Amino acid sequence: MKPQSNRRENSLFSRSRQQWLLLALAGAFIATNSLALALSGSAAQSDWSGLALWISCALVGGKILDHYLPDRDPILFPVVMFLSGWGLLTIARLAPPFANRQEVWLLVSIGAMLLVAVFPQALRWMRKYRYVILAVALALMLATIAFGSNPSGFAFAPRLWLRLGGFYFQPSEMMKVVLVAFLASYLGEGATAYRIADKDGSAKAHLPRLLGPTALISALSIVMLIWQRDLGAAMLFFAVFLLMLYLTSGDWRVIAGGAAMVIVAGFVAYHLFDVVRLRVDIWLNPWPEADSRAYQIVQSLMAFSSGGVFGTGLGQGSPLYVPVVHSDFIFAALAEEWGLLGVIGAIGCFAVLTLRGLSIGLRHSTSAFRRLFAIGLSTMLAVQALMIMGGVLKLIPLTGVTLPFFSYGGSSLLVSFVMIGILIRLSSEAR
Amino acid sequence: MNTEVAVFLLRLLSSLILAGFLLALFYMIWRSLVQMTDSLEAEGTPYARLSAIGDENGAHRPEMSFALLPVTTLGRSSSNAVVVDDEYASALHATIILENGQWWIEDRESRNGTQLNDQRIQQRTALADGDEIRIGHRRYRLNLTKQRASS
Repeated sequence: MKPQSNRRENSLFSRSRQQWLLLALAGAFIATNSLALALSGSAAQSDWSGLALWISCALVGGKILDHYLPDRDPILFPVVMFLSGWGLLTIARLAPPFANRQEVWLLVSIGAMLLVAVFPQALRWMRKYRYVILAVALALMLATIAFGSNPSGFAFAPRLWLRLGGFYFQPSEMMKVVLVAFLASYLGEGATAYRIADKDGSAKAHLPRLLGPTALISALSIVMLIWQRDLGAAMLFFAVFLLMLYLTSGDWRVIAGGAAMVIVAGFVAYHLFDVVRLRVDIWLNPWPEADSRAYQIVQSLMAFSSGGVFGTGLGQGSPLYVPVVHSDFIFAALAEEWGLLGVIGAIGCFAVLTLRGLSIGLRHSTSAFRRLFAIGLSTMLAVQALMIMGGVLKLIPLTGVTLPFFSYGGSSLLVSFVMIGILIRLSSEAR
Repeated sequence: MNTEVAVFLLRLLSSLILAGFLLALFYMIWRSLVQMTDSLEAEGTPYARLSAIGDENGAHRPEMSFALLPVTTLGRSSSNAVVVDDEYASALHATIILENGQWWIEDRESRNGTQLNDQRIQQRTALADGDEIRIGHRRYRLNLTKQRASS
């Protein structure tokens, strides 16, 4: 192994250089587009605070990671900086009043990411106090049912947020990390026993032991989400739970049973919930109701088509026809103004994040907890990105989740960055 | 008019940078994958070869050798990885298995048995470099190496 690591140090692309090259390209992209936005004059006022903040975050973050974690994966940080800078730019173009708030969240998120990545105890604590953390997260979600509010203030909007001073926080976002951490630590301990049992043929007796508590916790959080009509997050949690259970047990019945449950649940929900019926109906055929209930998805498709291959150019399209475009539908705005090229860029970045996350997991051959944690986090990000990108494109029924790193929303940004922080930490501990 | 040109040029530039970013990203990933396979190859994967060394009478057959798979089947039937062309061999005679870096041979309830270094094997037996395996009249020599996987 020694000569290998020497060669890596000597190579033209050392880890640190890879990071700085990508960060420089990302910065150039964001600066060029900021300039184009200011010149095209569609922003309310040219505001350079976002770019300044992004550059200082990139410089400080890159330096800190170089100093404390020289052996980390060098690609994760630049890619998420690229995505979040792009997102910030898009939000500044679409909804200028929201941009400053998102900038503050970006600063907080990058701080949290660095803390999780650099602080060596973070992972151990997540494992050691898993029940405490889980209880707190579940209690916070329960609290939203009682005291929840919605920043938009509409009476019938889902109340998924907790208000703290001037800021709103969404506990279901935090639950993403907490659930993956819990599943990874619990399944990680069960994994070895399960493999041994698998060899002598008593695996059948062990599957319920793996399944029991994890299914209970997952079901609890999913039921709470369904209670609050946050069906997108509920589906996301279920998908990640299934994948992690399958990875631990290697048992095809997990996937088959899960798929059967999704079909049954979808059928029941279609007849029980108006939201679900609406989403499925406009997915099958949005055109009869293009002016009413399917307005948003139809406008999103229009945005995609008017973007074409190269896009209309930043500030020159009209993505604001899509209602609330800066949140869940930000991908449609990106498609309109950057075109197919931008769409490929964004999908490519998410694909790279997933690939690197999974390979970090694979390199942890000795610790089942770390392996499952890395794989769980990257599948969580990947499934979430796929769900909303597919939904906006009308490939699958629309489920209201944010596009990680892009969409407006502080809790989502914070939690996505914390996930990346954990992945960076795991990558520097891998073989 | 001038701003329009500038905006267009900036658009072009940003598209180029975006493409450059993706190319740099994919190049780095490709390189790290190459590095990973390099280091795996340097570690070496267990590699074994089975060479036919002629039958009992000492008559030399045309030189034949087989690279062994993690599960290699030996027998008279043509569906086997190593086809033993001998009337004393059973259709599926024996299997050679790689498990945790160790090669094993197992007799598959053949009619005439499998001999390892002139001893009939009763159960799954570990193999070593230079072992001689006899099935019917055919004899094979086993060569174990830690060889580069690419060759």
